[in-house]
Amino acid sequence: MRVTDRMNFDQVHQNLQKNRTDMAELQNQAASQKRLNKPSDDPVGAARVLATRSEDRGLSQFVKNIHQARGFLDMTDQSLNEMSDLLVRAKELAVQQANDAGANAETRQVAALEVAQTFSQAVQIGNRKLGERYIFGGFKTTTAPFNQAGDYHGDDGDMNVLINKDAEVAMNLPGSRVFGGQGISADGHLRANTDTPKSAEDLREYQRANERRARELEERRDEPVRLRAPASTGPLPQGQVETVLDETQDGINVFRVLKSFEIALRTNDKEEIQVAIDDIDRALNQVIQGRAQVGARVQTLNQTQESLQKSLVDNKALQSQIEDADLFQTVSDITKTDSTLRASLETSGRLVQKSLLDFLR
Amino acid sequence: MGKIHAMMDMGKRAMMNSQTALQTVSHNIANKTTEGYSRQRVEQVTAPAISEGNLRLGTGSRAAQVTRINNPFIDKQLQGANREMGFLNARSETMGRIEQVFNEQQNKSLNQYVSDFFNSFRELSNNPESTTIRTIVKESAEALTKDFRRVEGQLETIRRDIDFQLDARVGEINRYSGEIAELNQKIASVEIQNAPANDERDRRDLILKKLNELIDVNVAEGDAGMINVSTAGNALLVTGFSKTELTAKVDPSTGKTEIYAVGQAGAHDIKITERIKSGVTGGLLSVRDKVITEVRDRMDNLAFTLGNEVNRAHVLGYDRNGREGVAFFETSPNRAGAARSLQLNELIANDVGRIAAGAKDGSPGDNTVANVISRIQYKQVFDNGAATMDDYYNAQVGRIGVVANQANKQVETQGNIVKQIEKLRESVAGVSLDEEATKMIEFQKSFDASARLIRVADEMFDTVLNLKRM
Repeated sequence: MRVTDRMNFDQVHQNLQKNRTDMAELQNQAASQKRLNKPSDDPVGAARVLATRSEDRGLSQFVKNIHQARGFLDMTDQSLNEMSDLLVRAKELAVQQANDAGANAETRQVAALEVAQTFSQAVQIGNRKLGERYIFGGFKTTTAPFNQAGDYHGDDGDMNVLINKDAEVAMNLPGSRVFGGQGISADGHLRANTDTPKSAEDLREYQRANERRARELEERRDEPVRLRAPASTGPLPQGQVETVLDETQDGINVFRVLKSFEIALRTNDKEEIQVAIDDIDRALNQVIQGRAQVGARVQTLNQTQESLQKSLVDNKALQSQIEDADLFQTVSDITKTDSTLRASLETSGRLVQKSLLDFLR
Repeated sequence: MGKIHAMMDMGKRAMMNSQTALQTVSHNIANKTTEGYSRQRVEQVTAPAISEGNLRLGTGSRAAQVTRINNPFIDKQLQGANREMGFLNARSETMGRIEQVFNEQQNKSLNQYVSDFFNSFRELSNNPESTTIRTIVKESAEALTKDFRRVEGQLETIRRDIDFQLDARVGEINRYSGEIAELNQKIASVEIQNAPANDERDRRDLILKKLNELIDVNVAEGDAGMINVSTAGNALLVTGFSKTELTAKVDPSTGKTEIYAVGQAGAHDIKITERIKSGVTGGLLSVRDKVITEVRDRMDNLAFTLGNEVNRAHVLGYDRNGREGVAFFETSPNRAGAARSLQLNELIANDVGRIAAGAKDGSPGDNTVANVISRIQYKQVFDNGAATMDDYYNAQVGRIGVVANQANKQVETQGNIVKQIEKLRESVAGVSLDEEATKMIEFQKSFDASARLIRVADEMFDTVLNLKRM
């Protein structure tokens, strides 16, 4: 092949250019520690990196949600604990005052005062706030859910928060349920809607169902609560409703229980005090069940958080695998390219300097 | 005496021939680095011999022609390779710019803004009462729409830049056509005298190569060494001595720059944009009319779907003060242009209390709608329910990466092909200093020898003239 000067120069230029390009690329990798600096470096990888990033942000947000929900649930648990303490004390009083062996009208008056105090403490617990939010008001978090008479003004909304892509946990217990006893029975239609809407289509349906439920609750609220006091009305005839609320329909209203217990004490109505023991027991049960529910949710949160954290780590590892440069590889490549560059510089020097003209003297 | 005269004359002519050859050598050396130059040689032939009885005596040599040494087939190949190279170069360069618009390895971009937007709703569902978090929702929504506009704006800038380049390239094409027409004329006028117009032909080949780099070119050999050049099917650029100019004009109906060829006398100019398939203009057009259009359609689809999905849930909700939800985004009724026009509803921008987080009025703690909206991120709303918003966007980035990556690789491959052919051409037509130096010595020696011949003849003359004195 006929070799001309231009060819030599081009060759030198081309080789050096290639070595320098390789070097620059590797240097960039070493400096950024990234193998992937623009989508065209690895198109499939680039798309996957993006996916891992949004995954990462989503998972981190879920962890944040879990922290938030746990705060709420912890507060709820603590409040329910206090409430059960109050009820235990009330039960003690009821047991003490239920017979004439250790109690009389006077002691019952004193006990009534204590129960009145317990009642207002219970109301305070019902109006507990976390930050600026009432935790027992359902969705109505900005107004006090209970008034001094223990009437509920909140709703039965469950504040569901997403703790994973497809998992929601309610971070509150509405006061109507845990204290008011509404909607926790097995009959279904008063129970909080656990099927939360997943899309705009569901939303409409959910709203309709909600309205229906609110109406039913409203009707129920209007039903007069049966109070067997004062004692002058005498004992109820056999077969009549004995309890504060129909137990097949609902749970029990903690405030009403306390209130009627107080009235029973005040009116020195032994039979009614006897009834109160049972009712307080049921109320206590109800609160403890609420706590159990809270505990179960916290458990779910903890488990989910654990798995989220594991996914976060896995996800990070995947991302790093795709986009990060293998430092050892890069450095060894740099060394290799560097020696190639040196070699081509040396040979280039020889290639371009000599021509026949240099030897003609 | 006649023989001595002949000797002297032959020596003189040989000296002149050597000078001619040496002149060509210096021409070669001088043009060693001239682009497109082919080395030239003097073709020496023997001068007509004369007969003397039964002797046939030679009368020396003469320079018949200066020819260039090249291989037209390689030149043709080179032109074709360059045409492809121009196309790929333009494509890879422009794709590199488009890819930067979507490069999230270094900057925050849509993928992140979309996540941030949905995360802000997740945060809101934790605490729908909080004005601070509502403000975060507003900010993230505004950042999202702003980024849609950034992407759209950058794509538009690239498109306008391509139009600008097309305009400049058409100017270049016309200049080249003009030069080819001029060279045609020179070549015809030189070659009518039966001497090859070497330098002009070299120049014309070079211009053709450059023209090929810009646009599809068809060449037809005409009379008297002239060529006719046409492009994009049958739009004439050069016919003999005359050139026809292409024009680049903005088509008012599309707002894009289109390329037109002059039509028949009296007829309208013919739009040839779609027919241009190669060269730099072809590459630019392929990116502008295919890639950018497609990418923008997808961005519009993304913005349109996102806006409508969010709105659909949001209008069913109730805001902080129990008012019914308004549209969260102001969207355009059409898919086209949705990315540009997506905007946070003015009412929400002015009062974050209007963000509807709940499904019931008068329930400040209700987060049902916030949850529904945050779920949209994982809902498969694209490609007939096969892809989520993230999938759709990420796939788009991947697709751009693939096209850019392919373009870069093809440029590399094609670059090697071009270099290989150039090497081949250089090997045939290039100037070698060693070779020229050898030739130089050779012709110098023959010049010396011819001069010696004349001296010998001179001495012989002297000898003859001094005969009577002796």
